[in-house]
Amino acid sequence: MGITRRRFVGCVAAAATIGLPRDLWRSGAIPRWVLLDLKEACSLSESVSGYESALAAVGEPWIRSDAWSVIRCTGLIVPAALAIPLPAVRAIVTCLARGATVILESGAAFAGGPDFRAHRAVLRDCFQVRIEAPVQLWRARSSWRGVPYVDYTWPFPAKLRDFSRVVPLERQAGEIVAWVDDLPVALVRRSGRGTLVFLGSPVGPALWAGDGDARRWLCAVLGSGGQSPKFASRTSWMSGSRASSSSTPFTSG
Amino acid sequence: MKKAIGDNMIAKEWGFEKGLELVKQAGFDGIELWLGDVPWFQLSTADSAVRELRRKVEDAGLVVSNVSTGLHWASPLSSRDPKVRAQAVRIVEREIETAVLLGTDAILLVAGLVTEEVPYTEVYQRCLDALRPLGEKAARTGVRIGCENCNAEHRFLISPREFWQFLNDVASPAVGIHLDVGNIHDTGFAEQWIEIHGPRITRIHVKDVMKKRGRCGDQSVYTNLFLGDNNWPAIRAAMTKVGYDGWLVAEMEARYRYAPDQQFFDTARAMDRLISGRL
Repeated sequence: MGITRRRFVGCVAAAATIGLPRDLWRSGAIPRWVLLDLKEACSLSESVSGYESALAAVGEPWIRSDAWSVIRCTGLIVPAALAIPLPAVRAIVTCLARGATVILESGAAFAGGPDFRAHRAVLRDCFQVRIEAPVQLWRARSSWRGVPYVDYTWPFPAKLRDFSRVVPLERQAGEIVAWVDDLPVALVRRSGRGTLVFLGSPVGPALWAGDGDARRWLCAVLGSGGQSPKFASRTSWMSGSRASSSSTPFTSG
Repeated sequence: MKKAIGDNMIAKEWGFEKGLELVKQAGFDGIELWLGDVPWFQLSTADSAVRELRRKVEDAGLVVSNVSTGLHWASPLSSRDPKVRAQAVRIVEREIETAVLLGTDAILLVAGLVTEEVPYTEVYQRCLDALRPLGEKAARTGVRIGCENCNAEHRFLISPREFWQFLNDVASPAVGIHLDVGNIHDTGFAEQWIEIHGPRITRIHVKDVMKKRGRCGDQSVYTNLFLGDNNWPAIRAAMTKVGYDGWLVAEMEARYRYAPDQQFFDTARAMDRLISGRL
């Protein structure tokens, strides 16, 4: 072969650092978590701010990034995603394939018809996540219990503030980990070597507003990041009723 | 001190010009224009038409005391819906623009709306995020934003200390408080609010309040000056203490059932007594 061992190692090292900001590479501080700011494709900037403040408070190495320069990481957070452009899709898929945990938060609950349809199509075609039309929780209050919380069952049972509207999930592979009454609104699923956490009710605004429970919930998810939730030995998961889901709670990794 | 009254007190059937005539005859110095609450002053009203409103006000021998709006009750800055928030910001921007056109330096807004659905913590943060850039915009035009204390009505910034902290967090000299001495109800005492906020007061709304009534059906908790439970001598003394010498703006929710024009005269006379301190 026309390549020396030294040159081969150099090339591999260079490839591994593609996209890594120079200052980070120099300092050697490789972030564990990447916050993907979709800019115009993010429907709630306060959600980005919420995750940002929570990550800063946790004290784990993290970096805010755009879709073009997502680096190798333990986990990727995509707040209030609406349009999800192709570079972002690539980044998410790549992270999942490499074994990362990806928190994909839907920002479509307040979207108009065309934007929501595009959002639903990308989720279905690129991530095999199937969602239903947004539900306005407070407009339908006569048929709703009027308790303003989303009940999470993973990584630990928690009640987090709803955000007026939710994007419910259809029946599909994965484990439902959050409910508003009988509406399933969050999903955890193995994807590639990684774990996809899909949120149909945004958590970012609660983080931004300083909600301690939301912060503890995120911390627990971050703590399980990189070591995916223990799915036992099952090879596929079907979202079931709330009762069946809560009877087989996850444990954090 | 000068006295004004809102143009939303003018009966629609009277029209703007006749209303201005009455306001002048009653002895007011100025008029508060309510964006979106009266047919002659809407969000869609063009700049040229706004200038025409100013001309009519000045022809009547009055000036515009400030621009107010009730539009934020339906489109609050604290809404979770980004589209509603954008509309709320646009309303404030239009208030600032029209204030400049009308030759006044103060606007009123209802800063946020706490509901069962949208909790206090979110409302607080969202209002801060909205008001900081709006404060910069207002400062560039020489206009001050007065956030009205609506206390029990918007369930937000209910105590004077909370309001003070909120304004500290906004940290803009162009954002202050449009103090309504009637809105405090049973949650405190207007004179203490005046003393705490002093130079941050952009305008003062005056009306009286029957503290122990509360809202009951269509009966208003508010009433004409000196008929309610406000301690007017204390309020007047607090104004003197903090050196408030700006506009007093009458905002009467309860209207006369008969002879509605008489309310303008009675209110103006009561405000004269308040200003003179002969209480």
